[in-house]
Amino acid sequence: MSEFNKIKSTGTATLGKKKIKGTLFSDETQAVFCTKKNEAVLTIPYTEIKSMNNIRHGGLSSTVTIKLKDDSEYSFLLVEGQKVYNNIDKFWLNKPLQTYSRAEELRRLAELRGEKVQKVKKHVIKRRHPNRSIGGDIGIYIMLALVGFAMAFPLIFAVGSALKPLDELFRFPPTVLPQHPTLDNFSDLLVTMGQSWVPFSRYLTNTVFITFVGTLGHLIIASMAAFVLAKYDFPGGRTFFSIVVTALMFSGYVTGIPNYVIMSKLKMIDTYWALLLPAFAAPIGLFMMKQFMEGLPTALIEAAHIDGAGEFRIFWSIVMPNVKPAWLTVIIFSVQSLWNNSATTVIYSEAKKTLVYALQQIQAGGIARTGQAAAVTVVVMAVPIIIFVLSQSQILETMASSGIKD
Amino acid sequence: MNQVQSGSFAKRYLSMRSEKLGYGLSKAKRMKVCYLFLAPYAILFFTFFILPICTSIFYSFTYYNILEPARFVGLQNYINLILQDEVFLTSVKNTFVIAVITGPVGYILSFMFAWFINELPKWLRAVAVVIFYAPSIAGNAFTVFSIIFRGDAYGYLNSILLNFGFIDAPQLWLTNPASIMPVLIIVILWMSMGTGFLSFVAGFQGIDKSMYEAGYVDGIRNRWQELYYITLPSMKPMLLFGAVMSITSAFNVCDVPRALAGFPSTDYAARTVVTHLFDYGFSRFEMGYASAIATILFLVMILCKKVISAALEKVGT
Repeated sequence: MSEFNKIKSTGTATLGKKKIKGTLFSDETQAVFCTKKNEAVLTIPYTEIKSMNNIRHGGLSSTVTIKLKDDSEYSFLLVEGQKVYNNIDKFWLNKPLQTYSRAEELRRLAELRGEKVQKVKKHVIKRRHPNRSIGGDIGIYIMLALVGFAMAFPLIFAVGSALKPLDELFRFPPTVLPQHPTLDNFSDLLVTMGQSWVPFSRYLTNTVFITFVGTLGHLIIASMAAFVLAKYDFPGGRTFFSIVVTALMFSGYVTGIPNYVIMSKLKMIDTYWALLLPAFAAPIGLFMMKQFMEGLPTALIEAAHIDGAGEFRIFWSIVMPNVKPAWLTVIIFSVQSLWNNSATTVIYSEAKKTLVYALQQIQAGGIARTGQAAAVTVVVMAVPIIIFVLSQSQILETMASSGIKD
Repeated sequence: MNQVQSGSFAKRYLSMRSEKLGYGLSKAKRMKVCYLFLAPYAILFFTFFILPICTSIFYSFTYYNILEPARFVGLQNYINLILQDEVFLTSVKNTFVIAVITGPVGYILSFMFAWFINELPKWLRAVAVVIFYAPSIAGNAFTVFSIIFRGDAYGYLNSILLNFGFIDAPQLWLTNPASIMPVLIIVILWMSMGTGFLSFVAGFQGIDKSMYEAGYVDGIRNRWQELYYITLPSMKPMLLFGAVMSITSAFNVCDVPRALAGFPSTDYAARTVVTHLFDYGFSRFEMGYASAIATILFLVMILCKKVISAALEKVGT
């Protein structure tokens, strides 16, 4: 054994009925108990200690019991895989145990060699391993704050404008925040809305109906398709999926006209079907759901099969609850696009138009309605953001509890 | 003896076949459910997505001005597009520059920010996600940039630069062909936290935390290793999703240049393939020609996606 690379503790060991005073040396591979005359009485290689498994699998401590030929038992508590001491006091009479953790020992050795030693940093916040330096943390927070400000700027600007009184709205150069915030714009908006040709509640009902039904239908239809595409290998499945992914990349502008022709052939123009059916089949939702469902262990589904659950049952009560983050995200996308859909091409009766369309008409009122237009921007933005915030907290909650992964 | 053997062989063979057949039948039965699950989506998808796309591709071989019936012209649209349309070549160059810069950078940025945000405390994380996703929710919020980059001394950027004395006359950021592209790239990058970003956030939430502990025991030393060996491989599906999304948005840039740089822009400096398409399809009503542009763009994007998904296959191995 080399001179330095060991941890020393002195005391008395009891071997059977014999008591021997001596020293326990432990190094990286084994622990040796020596008498005062430096005769090794007992050698315990760590490799033979099978119950160190706990440490090998990431635990921090492990109790090791060794049985000798003469039936005497020794218990060691290994802490962090590096500290070795006898945890039964009576074996080590009189003297307190001298133990070093391996890190301390290595540091002592480094000091002996005259190397520079890094001090252990104490962290205020307990964080998981492996760690980032404090500097890195601060840097990232600062960067996030700066970029976050740049990202939030248009929102701040939009809300700020909506709260500006009329004279501030026309001030040049435009200020970001109002000096005398007022809700006049919103109350004006309410007045204008109350005077519309078609009752305003009608627009609102239309949009809520379209958004709700469209999102729900999309979620169910796309998830069902995504489920079989992700979890079963059936002829045509893969081809179908790659067609969907490819179709995602075709420019939406040129398909507008063929789409209109198809809808008029199906007699769907000026009905909500023209909005809902394409929304049901939006490729983004299918793509996203499928990608998430692939992460679910196949064993889970097989187990359910063995238990006699049908496909629909598996889909509804096993797969869907486990991909909640995915479907909440799909809801966000779908709500966002349906809510902002002004549907001017496929719907022409005024009573069927959407809220966004009505609000855009107010917005189009020109200079006279600048203040209301700013309020409209905020109103239109608010709903997707609220739904987003609500589902965000849902996502975080659900994922903390589910641990089913391959 | 031989006969008996062969007879038993045939018997065994037949019983095996029938077993296999039975298995196949039961599989087919299960598959039938699969088709049933897929059917509603597939029918809608073929009607409202595949059919229009096929029709558009068909139009690309015709002269079609919406009013008259399409007249077949063969490859004439493509020939004109590549050999005669100089503006198209400018637009290809611009789109290429925008896609090469904003695609990968936007993709990496949205992944990085999703990664950083994921490690924030819970309440802060929700706020941060909303803030970073705000430009995408806020619809055409990028019009704010037309005030920032305004050409007179009242534009925010000009007034700041003038105050600090970096420039002595206001710059025409959005009309000077030299500065249009950098400005556009900045704005598009600012908007890049979109669909991909959200799916990354959700993907990070889905990673099993015990994988990190196990990885730590197996000798992972730092966050980069953790990222490469654990996080990225478990997020492969979302990475592919994000990649497809960022290809789509990088090549389909249209609204931003039209709103900021004007339509048409000075010297066609901000013309992209899709604004070119928009010009032909909706200002000149040459749908056949516009469809040809769309088809070419489509082919380029498919190629791009193939390359990226091949690269993603190698991550973490």
